[in-house]
Amino acid sequence: MIAFIDSRWADILFRAYQHTSLVVQSMILAAVIAVGLAVLVTTIRRLTPVANAVSAVGLTIPSFALLGLLLPVVGIGTVPSVVVVTFYAALPILRNAVVGLQGVDSTIIESARGQGMSGSAVFWRVRLPLSWPVIMTGIRVSAQMSMGVAAIAAYALGPGLGSYIYTGLTQVGGANAVNYAVVGTVGIIVLALLLDALLVLLSRFTTSRGIRA
Amino acid sequence: MTQQTTTGAALELVDVTKSYPGQKSPAVDGLSLSVPAGETVMFVGPSGCGKTTSLKMINRLIEPTSGRLLLDGEDITTKDPTTLRRSIGYVIQGGGLMPHMTVAENVGLVPKLLNWDRGRIASRVDELLDLVGLDPRIYRDRHPRELSGGQQQRVGVARGLAADPPVILMDEPFGAVDPITRQRLQDELMSIQDELQKTIVCVTHDIDEAIKLGDRILILDEGARIAQYDTPERILAAPSEDFVADFIGSGSTLKQLSLLRVGDLELTEPQTCRIGEDVAEVTARVEAAGESSVVILDERDRPREWLFLRTLGRHAVVSEPTTELQTVVDHRSTLSDALDSMLVSSHGGAMVIERDAYIGVITYDAVTEHIRSLRVEAA
Amino acid sequence: MRTTALSREDRLLLFGLPAVVLVVLAGWCLWRASADLGDIEARALAWDAVGQLALEHVLIVLVCAVLVVGCAVPLGILLTRARAGFLAPAVTAAANAGQAAPVIGVIVLLALAVGFGFWTAVLALTVYAFLPVLANTVAGLRGVDPAVIEAARGMGMSPFQVLRRVELPMALPVIMTGVRTALVLLVGAGAFATFIDAGGLGTLIQTGIIMFRHSILVSGALLVALLALLVEWTGRVMELFATPKGLA
Ligand SMILES: Nc1ncnc2c1ncn2[C@@H]1O[C@H](COP(=O)(O)OP(=O)(O)O)[C@@H](O)[C@H]1O
Ligand SMILES: [Mg+2]
Repeated sequence: MIAFIDSRWADILFRAYQHTSLVVQSMILAAVIAVGLAVLVTTIRRLTPVANAVSAVGLTIPSFALLGLLLPVVGIGTVPSVVVVTFYAALPILRNAVVGLQGVDSTIIESARGQGMSGSAVFWRVRLPLSWPVIMTGIRVSAQMSMGVAAIAAYALGPGLGSYIYTGLTQVGGANAVNYAVVGTVGIIVLALLLDALLVLLSRFTTSRGIRA
Repeated sequence: MTQQTTTGAALELVDVTKSYPGQKSPAVDGLSLSVPAGETVMFVGPSGCGKTTSLKMINRLIEPTSGRLLLDGEDITTKDPTTLRRSIGYVIQGGGLMPHMTVAENVGLVPKLLNWDRGRIASRVDELLDLVGLDPRIYRDRHPRELSGGQQQRVGVARGLAADPPVILMDEPFGAVDPITRQRLQDELMSIQDELQKTIVCVTHDIDEAIKLGDRILILDEGARIAQYDTPERILAAPSEDFVADFIGSGSTLKQLSLLRVGDLELTEPQTCRIGEDVAEVTARVEAAGESSVVILDERDRPREWLFLRTLGRHAVVSEPTTELQTVVDHRSTLSDALDSMLVSSHGGAMVIERDAYIGVITYDAVTEHIRSLRVEAA
Repeated sequence: MRTTALSREDRLLLFGLPAVVLVVLAGWCLWRASADLGDIEARALAWDAVGQLALEHVLIVLVCAVLVVGCAVPLGILLTRARAGFLAPAVTAAANAGQAAPVIGVIVLLALAVGFGFWTAVLALTVYAFLPVLANTVAGLRGVDPAVIEAARGMGMSPFQVLRRVELPMALPVIMTGVRTALVLLVGAGAFATFIDAGGLGTLIQTGIIMFRHSILVSGALLVALLALLVEWTGRVMELFATPKGLA
């Protein structure tokens, strides 16, 4: 095992980097989309239950099935990985952003408007900062999930450590099958825990002391 | 009291109406009202009569269905509401502070929206915190949840004053604090208003608060119909209709005590002494004056204790009192508030201060004497 | 169950889900019956072949579900008893690490360790779906108002009676949510069973990709998704019935 890791160290690092980069970029995209949608559906109240239902149903659809449905449309490679990871990453963020934005005390918002804040100032300086801890919790859930989804998406020749797992599977009986599968799986667990720790820190530094738990 | 220059602006509501969708009768039905610059107008009336709706139409948090609003003669009904609100202070129950912002950020909110430079905002924030009785060094960087309810409300008032707006709107500003804190906040607001002379429109459901704070009181009935709009004295003396009389309730003589300030009565001046003085000398002086008690002052003329001579006699020199004072009232306090303090005093009176300095003593007898004279006048 | 008490979101899901599933399934059946399929597609998508795969898929999900509920709920009960409280931090730590493990990695590793086949798939998926049920059992039982438990004790109920008659019924909705989450996860993860020769609808997806036949690939993906939605809906209906009257 040590010899295996040693001989492929550069490749392992590269794939870990790819995996993280895929997840982080997709999540940034997902967060922007999800928060945008959340703003829309909390402004137009009628849409709120629809959004909640959509995110509940969306999380139900198996990622492998979604990947299968996408391949005829976008082909194999990086694109289906990005689409699938972004899709699943967006759902928990959407759900939490809706809850968070709805949870902001309406008297605070009115008080802010009463001081002469414009609509966008109320959003950027009041609603977003106040719902931020809840949104960050959604982002953490999303990050954990995305790490696993990215592994699955590697089946369609996407980037990242997932390909090691599939290599292990296809080389069953071979000398390195277990090595590949272990490195792939454990590597992803390590990455997920590291990313989570980073997000906890980020959440701490970006949440006002006045509303921290 | 020295009359300062008025910084308020005249406010006029012309036939202002608000109908909420799906409601049969308008919440505010053709309200017309003019508020002179620099005066405090109190809106009172039963719950749901349209006080809040009327107030929020002034800063257009609620858009009037029809009617016009004039600020110093200028029509503000068509002005950009966001800009308009930066020139109208807004104070609500509980303070309505932003929980994620520090006290300084909360108070500096409107100046920042108005793009003041940082130094100016910082010094303005400190000035205002001082004004509302919060030490800027201690409270500037705290968050709202690290403040008591009364302190949050003080910050709310400071925020409303921050950009020096000519008009300030308040919606039950002291409704969420305990009675003692409320009384103190009311006193502070009155002294701030003495100094600044803003135009204040304040909603309350407490008629005593209205009598105490208001230059004028607007009594509203269902649909914001004006039942009476007049000075507190005239409303107490001559309610225009049964609805108003019912609303004021009984004991209007006692209510007049809310109109009178401690400083309006003659204060008595018992003997005083300083911490560290020789007790024998003090005793001799007090006895020579034919009195049995003495007020102890500290080096900055603040009253520290009011003692009977027999209590003093146990020591050689007048020592630093250790007890918390309860029987001190501000010269601007109302007589009814002062009575509350005097009831706990064994001297039948309370020490009176002006800007923290001792100026004399108000006695229970002086107050009852005054009530008697009011009765005679009324009869 | 009075439907008027349901939120709009619940109603959308309760009535919308089965409608969507039925319409899409009917559409697929129509297409299957009428489309002019090539040789490979016709064999892969033969009615009885697809039926067989669906049956395998459902079987794996059901066996795993029984195992998961049978192990995770008692463990959750154990962890919430005062005497076993010292175990909780260790279990939480293990749970957090487990959450970060990719399901495909768990399946492949287990298969490499104990060999391919149905029972390996069952074992891997059971491990995978264990967490949500355990977590929700603990959360549900912890969430029961202590005053209610004290009142029940005060009336002279034995600890077991308190558990059976008070704690479990009140925690049931939360536990059921965990079970529903687990079932849905199982349907999705069941698609990987084909990788270790345990069958299931994932076979269609794999065949489709390997043989480069989009119709097989999409049919498999669609059927897995429909099964997941159907299970989600069943879970929601069960949850509704599991909620004690007066609690919702
Ligand atoms: N946003 C609103 N939508 C509909 N009706 C409202 C709304 N706000 C207030 N009202 C109604 O308008 C009337 C006056 O309300 P309000 O101005 O809040 O009364 P007050 O402040 O005097 O208690 C009440 O009957 C209230 O129900
Ligand atoms: Mg009101």
